Amino acid sequence: MSTIDFSDPATIAALTEALTAAGVDGLEVSGPVGQLRLVVSKGEGPHIRLTGGIGANQAKAVTVKAPIAGCFCAIHPSVSEETETLPRRVSDKDVVGFIRIGSVLLPVPAGRSGLLARRLAEPGALVGFGDPLFEIEPQP
Amino acid sequence: MIEIVETGPFNTVQDLGRPGYRDIGVSAGGAMDPLAVRIGNILVGNPQDAAAIEIQMFPFKLRFEVPTVFAVTGADGQPLLEGRALLSWCAYRAEAGQILELKQPPKLARAYIVLGGGIDVPVLMGSRSTALRGGFGGNAGRPLMKGDRIEVCALPQPLPLPAGGIAAVAPATALRDAFPVADDGTLLIRAIPAGEHELFADDGEAFWSQVWRISSRSDRTGYRLSGAPIKPVKTVEMRSHGVVPGVVQVPPGGEPIIQMSDANTAGGYPKIAGVIEADLWRLGQARAGSRLRFVRSTHAEARAVEQIVSRYVEDIERTSQMVKRALKAMT
Repeated sequence: MSTIDFSDPATIAALTEALTAAGVDGLEVSGPVGQLRLVVSKGEGPHIRLTGGIGANQAKAVTVKAPIAGCFCAIHPSVSEETETLPRRVSDKDVVGFIRIGSVLLPVPAGRSGLLARRLAEPGALVGFGDPLFEIEPQP
Repeated sequence: MIEIVETGPFNTVQDLGRPGYRDIGVSAGGAMDPLAVRIGNILVGNPQDAAAIEIQMFPFKLRFEVPTVFAVTGADGQPLLEGRALLSWCAYRAEAGQILELKQPPKLARAYIVLGGGIDVPVLMGSRSTALRGGFGGNAGRPLMKGDRIEVCALPQPLPLPAGGIAAVAPATALRDAFPVADDGTLLIRAIPAGEHELFADDGEAFWSQVWRISSRSDRTGYRLSGAPIKPVKTVEMRSHGVVPGVVQVPPGGEPIIQMSDANTAGGYPKIAGVIEADLWRLGQARAGSRLRFVRSTHAEARAVEQIVSRYVEDIERTSQMVKRALKAMT
C-alpha cells in the first residue's frame, strides 16, 4: 500500500491537473489526520481545501518517493560489485536509485541536496507510485 | 544542429546500413553494434533506424547548438555533460551550448550518440551510413572532423522526457543468459559451419577449440584473428563469391578473418564458419587484443537468440513509451 503525502503542494497540483485533464469534477480524500478536497469548478480554476495534514511528514527529513510503480533498484542493475554506502551526501540531480519495469529503468533523482540517510524500500521490492524510497536529511 | 569539438579518426555517421546493393558492389555497412543504435533511438523517441554517430576513437566532444534529447549507448563508461557524469543507455536533454564528452570506455569498443530526431545527412540508397571505402554516405562520405556542424532532424510530437531521464538495462546485462561469456572473460561467439568447413581436418577442431585474439589489424571491414594457424587439408582454387558480415574466412596464412559491417561484397578465401547474426553486435563491441572462442551453433539456436533480442527490443519500445505517457499524465 502506497502512502501519498497529500499535504505536498506538488502532489496536489499533479492531482488537480490529472483531474482536469480527465474531466473529473472533484476528489475527496479522507485519512486519520485530515481531509483533502479538490473541486474543479468550470471556468474558475480549481478550488482546493486542506484541513489537518494528511500524511504530513513530522520529521525534518524529506522522503524520495517512487515516481511510478515498478521494481525498486538501489543500485544500477549493470553494476555488480558496487555496494550501497549510506549515509552519503547527495545533490539534487544525483541519481539515488531506479525503478525497473522490464528492461526499462527510470532513474530516481534525489530532488534536493542533503544527506541520503536511510533507504526505506527493499532492493528488488515491487513499489507503487508515491511509495517512500529514501530519506534525505537537509544539510546546512 | 551539433558541432564536433573534438574527435579521433574514423568516427562516422551510421544507421542500420544499406542492405540490398551487394550485387552492385555496395557493402551494407551500418553500425557495428546495431542493437545499441536501435535501443538508443527508442529511448530518445526515434524510429529504430535513425542515424547516429559511431565513436570508436576517443576522446570525442560535441556541442549542442539547440536543446536536444540524446542518449549514449553501446560502450561502457560514463558520458559527461558539462563535466557531470551521466549514465550510458539513458536518454537526457541537453541545453543549447552544452558539451557532451566521451572518454575511452573501460572495456568495450564503440559508443553511439543518438539524438532526438536523428542525424540529418542525405539518404543514399536507403541509408545515411558512411561508406568509407566508397567515400559516400554519412557526412560527405568521410569521418567526422573537428569543426563539422551537422543537422539534426526534427522529431514530430515527441513524448516529454522524464525529468531524470529514461534508461534501458543494457543487453549485456538484461540478456546475460542468452549471451554467455567464459569464466575467464573470453567472448563466446556462436557460429555455424560454412561452405568449406570440411576442408579443415578433424571437423575443424583447431578452429573451434582454440582461443583467438582479435589482432590490431582489425577495423569495420573485418577482424583478423591471431592464433595457431589452421590449414586446409588440400589447397583449393575458388572463384570469388558473395560474402556477408559474419563470414569467417581462412586466408592462406591460416589466421581467420571475420567479415564485419563494412564486409567486402565478394571474396575467394575458403569459409570455415558464419557467425550468427545475433552475436555480431558483441563482436562489434570487442576490442583489438580481446580473446574469443567460437562455439558451434545451429540455425535453430540462432533463431532462438534472435527472438530473445527481438522481445527485449519490443519490451523497451513499448514500456518506455508507456512510462513516458504515464509520467506526462502525472506532471
